[in-house]
Amino acid sequence: MERKRSHTQIVSDMLGIIQERRGKIKPTHLMYKANLSHVQMKKYLEEMRKKGLAVKKNAMIEITDKGREFISKYLQVKEFEETFGL
Amino acid sequence: MKIVFTPDWFLSFDVLIEIFSFLVLIAFFMFALRSYKLNQNKKALFLGIGFFLIAFAEIFTIFTKLVLYYDTIFTKEVGQMIVTYHFVNSVDIFYYLGFFFHKLLTLSGLYLIYKIPSKKGTTGDFILAGFFIIISAIFSSSVYFVFHIIAMIILFFIVMNYVNIYKKTKFENTKTLIGAFAILLVSQIVFLFSSIKLVYAIGQILQLVSYIIMLILIYHITKHGKKKKSHADSL
Repeated sequence: MERKRSHTQIVSDMLGIIQERRGKIKPTHLMYKANLSHVQMKKYLEEMRKKGLAVKKNAMIEITDKGREFISKYLQVKEFEETFGL
Repeated sequence: MKIVFTPDWFLSFDVLIEIFSFLVLIAFFMFALRSYKLNQNKKALFLGIGFFLIAFAEIFTIFTKLVLYYDTIFTKEVGQMIVTYHFVNSVDIFYYLGFFFHKLLTLSGLYLIYKIPSKKGTTGDFILAGFFIIISAIFSSSVYFVFHIIAMIILFFIVMNYVNIYKKTKFENTKTLIGAFAILLVSQIVFLFSSIKLVYAIGQILQLVSYIIMLILIYHITKHGKKKKSHADSL
């Protein structure tokens, strides 16, 4: 059975999905790809907007430089944790 | 009584190796701290504290050795028996205090690193706890190899922990980590014979090799994050 995703994992997944789509995606596509409910999606998007990780432009969600930096740091941390078996 | 085993030709190099070790350990501490901040991973926090304690121990050695080397030169320049004796005594106390904290922090740091992936109440815990009681009792006796024996034992358990983790995950970085800790373990065995000056230098060089491997590991971890990012960018 797969483990429940952590909060940070979900944010990272969402940002990763946006980044894979050349940095922007439609909210509905993101919702399905990230496997989230509408309520969850709204909550996470609001948080990402507040933290400057993503912005909404012309009905599309775009990743910011800060968002890209976040993914990079997150992947490094995951690599670190995996190395030490944490 | 002998204060340091460093050969004359190795006097500055050993401090440089310790500065290098300090920087590598701090880098691991920073990664662990970032992991804790991002994921609230308490294990990462304790691992970070472990690395930080060893880094802090290195600082104690660096300053102690610098003062010791400097004072030795100074007393030679003075060239008076009474003054020289006085300085050597003050240096002795400073050295022993510095070295005491170096031992204490290094062993505590290593123990934390060992403890993190292991389960509670293992035989290893019991053996280690016993050794800690023994070391605290004989700390004052200044038997230099006691520290190396205990460090060696903890490092052995650390290596075994990561071997078990590697068996489960087959993660390449863990293999590199095992290599680094194994060389550190060998360096402790070498240090047991450090009354022979050349052997002490060999031990230090082994320690340097171990920290170089850890630096390579840091490079891999950092590169991995960037590589994944650029891969995603190209999609």
